[in-house]
Amino acid sequence: MSKNALFYLALLTGLVFLAQSMLNDYYQRILSVVFINIILTVSLNLTNGFVGDFSLGHAAFMSIGAYLSAVLTLPPASKASMMPQLPMWLSQLEVPFVLATILGGLLAALVAAVVGIPVLRLRGHYLAVATLGLMVIVRVVAINWTAVTRGAKGINGLPAFTNLWWVFGWALVTVYVIWRLVNSSYGRAMIAIREDATAAAARGVNVTAHRMLAFCVGAFFAGIAGALWGHLITAITPHSFSFLITFNVVVMLVVGGMGSISGSILGATVMTLVPEFLRHVETNLSLGGHPLYGLSQIIIAVTITLVMIFRRQGLLGGREVQLPRLFDRQRALPRARVDTAG
Amino acid sequence: MKRILSALLLVCLVLSLAPFGQTLAAEPIKIGGMYNVTGGMSSIDAPGLNGMKLAAKQINEAGGLLGRPVEIVAIDGKTDQTAVTNAVSEMINVHKVVAIGGLNDSTYALAAGPIAQAAGIPFVTAGATLPTLPEQIGDYFFMTPFGDDAQAYAVAEFAVKDLGAKTCWMLVDQAYDFTTALAAFFKERFTALGGEIVLEDKYQSGDTDFSAQIARLKALSPQPDVLFVSAIPNEAGITTKQIREAGLTQPILSGDGFDTPLIAEVAGENADEVYYSTHAALDNPDPKVQNFVKAYKEEYGRAPENAFAALGYDMMMLIADAIKRAGSAEPKAIRDALAETKDFQGVTGVISYEPGKRVPKKSVTIIKVQDGVYSFVKEFTPE
Repeated sequence: MSKNALFYLALLTGLVFLAQSMLNDYYQRILSVVFINIILTVSLNLTNGFVGDFSLGHAAFMSIGAYLSAVLTLPPASKASMMPQLPMWLSQLEVPFVLATILGGLLAALVAAVVGIPVLRLRGHYLAVATLGLMVIVRVVAINWTAVTRGAKGINGLPAFTNLWWVFGWALVTVYVIWRLVNSSYGRAMIAIREDATAAAARGVNVTAHRMLAFCVGAFFAGIAGALWGHLITAITPHSFSFLITFNVVVMLVVGGMGSISGSILGATVMTLVPEFLRHVETNLSLGGHPLYGLSQIIIAVTITLVMIFRRQGLLGGREVQLPRLFDRQRALPRARVDTAG
Repeated sequence: MKRILSALLLVCLVLSLAPFGQTLAAEPIKIGGMYNVTGGMSSIDAPGLNGMKLAAKQINEAGGLLGRPVEIVAIDGKTDQTAVTNAVSEMINVHKVVAIGGLNDSTYALAAGPIAQAAGIPFVTAGATLPTLPEQIGDYFFMTPFGDDAQAYAVAEFAVKDLGAKTCWMLVDQAYDFTTALAAFFKERFTALGGEIVLEDKYQSGDTDFSAQIARLKALSPQPDVLFVSAIPNEAGITTKQIREAGLTQPILSGDGFDTPLIAEVAGENADEVYYSTHAALDNPDPKVQNFVKAYKEEYGRAPENAFAALGYDMMMLIADAIKRAGSAEPKAIRDALAETKDFQGVTGVISYEPGKRVPKKSVTIIKVQDGVYSFVKEFTPE
């Protein structure tokens, strides 16, 4: 690892440490949501931005990660009273948070593989439809598989394990993995598929395998984010993971700029903090005695419309932000510049 | 360009660290008003917040609490669990509220409650009726409405004692926790009072044709005395219509899922002999109810939209009552006083918490629909 990377890592860690020791719970909570949204957006970018498939499955994968990790981390005592029909071995099990999170991600990736094998062989926007269907299926399973999910009641009283360090750590892992993947031969193949799948296939790229890889890795991190979200909110119900969540992540991705990792980070940060900030504004404003609730949603909607009209490629438009190099004069390796598809 | 963007990123991070809310002078007593004013819950949450604000206004006009004015910190939860938890955390950590009230659905109450519980701030739900909520969340969580068990018991007692029913047919929506629980509680009390369930039939929310279930009902001999339909508002009208069109005339019973104008709108002339339980009847001649309806009309220029307005009003008054009796605005003192609430006279009924319980033992209102007109029948507390 270069001195520069170490420096920025130390700087970020220091900032998180400061935030964790000085800020009250509310601000820490908002920052945690920012990091979770970064994980979601960066991982969705792999499918939607780099391979050019349009997945709407993030809410479903979050749901899977959240439910599995919840069942694994709940203490046996609460499982005995809340889910008496759970199989013995499962109700006795209490798994450390980090392992439960990873298992949640793996199950999400497995489900993605099952959905992806038939769907990703097809061309066109079939993935959008299939992942939308997956979201409905996951919700129906969550409502009806009462022995494990408690149905519409949902699971509550999850241990509040999620703190700034967990979400920060996982966000780092996500960004690092996706960044390495995108800048490897796999990533180059993915971008080639996005630009022209037929040409890529003619050059010997296994199109289906690369689409599968991107889809499953994206689902894995969505599952991780779901597990972190569940242990932040401490209550999950089948209605927690709605189309709204998917939509929000897509908006973050589009605003930041598809096909750019730093764009995803920027998009997730801005689209989490701005609505939160606007909510303070709307709470304190009133027009002729009527409080202006809903104003923040309107402003966001108008902003997104304006971005779509005047800057369709998003804030960063497929480019990456290069942090200034502080220590060595060594030139950055020549990087293949790839512009986003229009 | 890159430099500008990276600077922008840093500014964003720094801004996110800077506290943008500021605590005001410690003078007013701050109460959190946690409602989903926008999104799917807004049709019942917005009237709830209006009711709460009306109560706070009346308290302040009467001189406030402990000589201090009440200030409601209302933040929109946007019908989103993340936004709700952020809002509750903001109320507690930034605005330093001493108690929080609101929310009419258990999905959101389950997310909001534990944050208040962990911070030691009392949370009073205005309209979430899942009776196990206080147990699931903890000793700082209280309910303003009765639990679903109480309303089911009330309907069962009403059926046996007032309508003289001995046998019953049940139709239960399998899609909701609310409908299956309501049916189970009704069955428990109805059979305990000596009644008999002759047939329990089911459907899934979204069904529009109930002819198979009604055919099985018609085949029963002798015919059951009453029909219990455990449904959400969506199916309230259509089940009533189809049962009556099949020529069946027995009373139809249900819970507050039937508290909807849909019965009259969908079933029209056929909407007769329908009885259901709910939180409040706005035509209840009780002066408490009529004064509330009048004050609400004066404040907002329209009648209360539904019972959740009254529940929001009662929730605020319940917290105010606890602060008065505690003689203190400390969260712990408010919690202890709330737990000792006895015979609190609310618009939606009399509220008392039995020792160790935070679901009120409370009166249930029975409403009758006859020829498409809704009218108050009685208000009583089930045993």
